[in-house]
Order: sequence, then structure tokens, then C-alpha cells
Amino acid sequence: MSKQVVLLVGTKKGLFTLRSDGDRKKWTTEGPYGGPVPIHHAVYDPRDGSMYAAINSTWGGARIEYSRDLGRTWTVTKNPAFPEGSGHTFFQTWHIEPGHKKTPNVVWAGVEPAALFKSEDRGESWQWVRSLEEHPSRPKWNPGAGGLGLHSIAIDADDPNKMNIGISAGGAFNTADGGKTWNADNATTGQSERPDVFSCIHKLLAHPKVSGVRFMRVHLEVYWREPGETTWTYRTPGLPTTFGFAAAIHPHDRAAAYVIPLHDMQRTAVDPGIAVYATRDRGQTWTRNDKGLPAGAHLEALREGMHTDTFDPVGVYFGSANGEVYASRDEGKSWERIVQYLPYVTSVHAATIEG
Amino acid sequence: MRVLLHGAWRGFAGGAREVPLEAATLRDALAELVRVHPGLGERLRDEHGVLRAHLSLFINDEDARFVGGEDATLHEGDIVHVIPALSGGQ
Repeated sequence: MSKQVVLLVGTKKGLFTLRSDGDRKKWTTEGPYGGPVPIHHAVYDPRDGSMYAAINSTWGGARIEYSRDLGRTWTVTKNPAFPEGSGHTFFQTWHIEPGHKKTPNVVWAGVEPAALFKSEDRGESWQWVRSLEEHPSRPKWNPGAGGLGLHSIAIDADDPNKMNIGISAGGAFNTADGGKTWNADNATTGQSERPDVFSCIHKLLAHPKVSGVRFMRVHLEVYWREPGETTWTYRTPGLPTTFGFAAAIHPHDRAAAYVIPLHDMQRTAVDPGIAVYATRDRGQTWTRNDKGLPAGAHLEALREGMHTDTFDPVGVYFGSANGEVYASRDEGKSWERIVQYLPYVTSVHAATIEG
Repeated sequence: MRVLLHGAWRGFAGGAREVPLEAATLRDALAELVRVHPGLGERLRDEHGVLRAHLSLFINDEDARFVGGEDATLHEGDIVHVIPALSGGQ
């Protein structure tokens, strides 16, 4: 098999797959699979080539499906399920995260009501990580505008027992023992005046190669963490707005990341229009990148709406609420629209397949 | 008697439209339906056994909610309709 990129594009009406070779110049579009159901998140597992999709259907309830043939056929997994007496009922899945390469059969799922589920059989079944529910802060978790969901699962590059998770609106937590115990992880150096925003995490990412590097997008702030640090460094200055959802971390450069700033009330890009902001110095400075993006367009990109491939130079991708997907082949400096007229795009995930 | 699966529910049963079965109550019929098509199990009920929202059940022309719910008695020749309620989707 030659090099290729497969974009898993979740929309409100099914899953689309966009495929290209390593040049990333020509794309074919297939789908929708599962239409008209909403796909909240779809992800590729590079460990074994599996794909997973969070299908949050109303008819028949939410479910998770996996594919073992690069998206051509899909199988329904056993649902995440809360036990009797827990006081919870599984509503929908917000995020699926393949486990560390040292734990080849482990896959994680963040769900609503906010909880973490672990699969030890490559997504066939899921077990509730009850320890998180027992954290003393649990009674204080409150739904954000989109619900109370666990949406970020950031696994350390070296140690599968070290993870950070993010909950809207419950905060950021970490574990160093594979989820047996959890610590609130919200100490910062410098932040905005509002005391409440740190509970509403929007996206928390771990660098895939450098242990201890983290990048976090909170409701009205952006933070960075270096290895060995136990606080979050405030890195919002330089961005045109403090708000946003979509975020991505560079898969190679340990100091680089991307965000799409939005208006905090309208939830769309501000003037002069949609742009991807990139940092190459851990968030100390930000650079606007809008070449090839529609000038003046007040587009919206969601939490799971941006991702990168792992080629060199890195490809960066994001989807918009008006059904477009944009791609950059030069690490975010310039962009082109690669598909339009899709339903509302909810997630974009790039599967890098090296032949 | 038989169960007719409508719309999206057919997909959860491998495309099956009609499922002949014998059952004394609606509850029994749904249990037998899941026995025949296990994929329907987690689609009809949540993990606590509660029938999911956005699901309409009719016994012949009667909405099952108004003729006894899951305790409704079934008779020979009855048709149980499993329908995506006019409330779901986006």
C-alpha cells in the first residue's frame, strides 16, 4: 500500500471519508456512511488500522462502531453502560481515543454524562472508569451549553499510565496510575479575570512524541505545559479572541500548535474572517494564516474539527459548520478547500497511512 | 402475529422488515424480537432496560402507550409496529 491520507469527516448527517495519496493534492470523497445520523467524532488507530466512530443517533440511541478495513464496513460495539445504582444513563459519546502503543488493545471513550470508559478488546466492549466519578469535585461538574461531556483524553507519549482528561464543564484532571486515581489539574501561571472559565475545558492535547508536553484550549484561554511542570502557562495573548474550540498539536515540532479563534458569543470567526493561528514557540507568539481561506468568512469550526497528518511537511485540516473541509500541505501557512456541500462538519481526523 | 420494523429500525435488524413471532404481551414480543435480532437489544432499551426515547410502538392501529404499554395483551393476528418516532433526527 502506498502512502495515503484518509480524512474521517464526521457530520450531522453521516460519516464521509476523503482519501488522497501522499501528495495530498487530489481528494476523493465517499459517503455518507450512517446517514442521516450525527457523527460526533471518528478516529483512526495507527496501531492496527482500526477506525472508530461515535454515532450519536436519536433513533436507537447513541452507539460506537468500529471498522477494521479503513472505513469500508463497520460493526456496532457493545454500548458503554453505567451500572444499576450509578445514577447515570449513557447518553452519547464525545470522544474516542486509541490507547498508547504499549497497550495495543486499549481504547478510551469520553461520554456524556461526563465519564471515562475503557475498552481492553479494541472497542468491542467498554468498562466504566469509576474512579473518576469518585473525585470530590464531581458534584460541582455542570453541563456546558452542549452538555456535560468528557471530550479530551490526552495520553502521555511515553507512559500509558499518565493521562490528562478534559470535561465541559468539570475541569482538567490527570492520572499517573492508569486511571486508578485522579487529580484536579487546574493550577495556572497567569490567567484571565474570570474565576470560572477553567472548569470549561474545550480541548486538551498531549504531544504524541514528547512526554509531558501538553496544549490546552479552555473556554476563554489557551495554555501550554512543558515536561516536569505542574502548572499551565497562560498563552492567550496574541490571539484575536480568547474563545474557540478547534485545536491541534503539531505531531513533530514540540513547540507548535494550532487554534481557530472564534467570537465568544456568536461562535464564528471574527473579522477579517476565518483563519488558523499557529504558534512555533509554545504559545508565546501566534501567527495568523488565512492564505487560501475565504476572505471575510465568519465560519465556525467545532471542538473535534481540526487535526493533522504526520507527514513532513505536516498537513493540517479543519472542517466548518457550513460543510466545507480545508487542507494545508505546508503546515498551516496556506490553505485550499478540498470539499464543500457536506452537512454540518462536526469532526475531522486525519489518518496517515504509510505504505 | 408479527412485528413490522419501520425506517431506521430495519437497519438495526439486518434489513429485516417483518418478524413473525408468538408473544402474549408487548413486552414478550420485544424480548422475542431481540432474541431473533440481537442487534436490536441496545437500540430498543438503555442499559437499565428502559425503552429508548424517539421510539413509537403501535399494536395494530393503536399507540401502545394508550392500550397498556408493555403490559398490553397481544392476540393472534396482531401486528406490532416498531417506528422511529416523529421526534428524532436532526
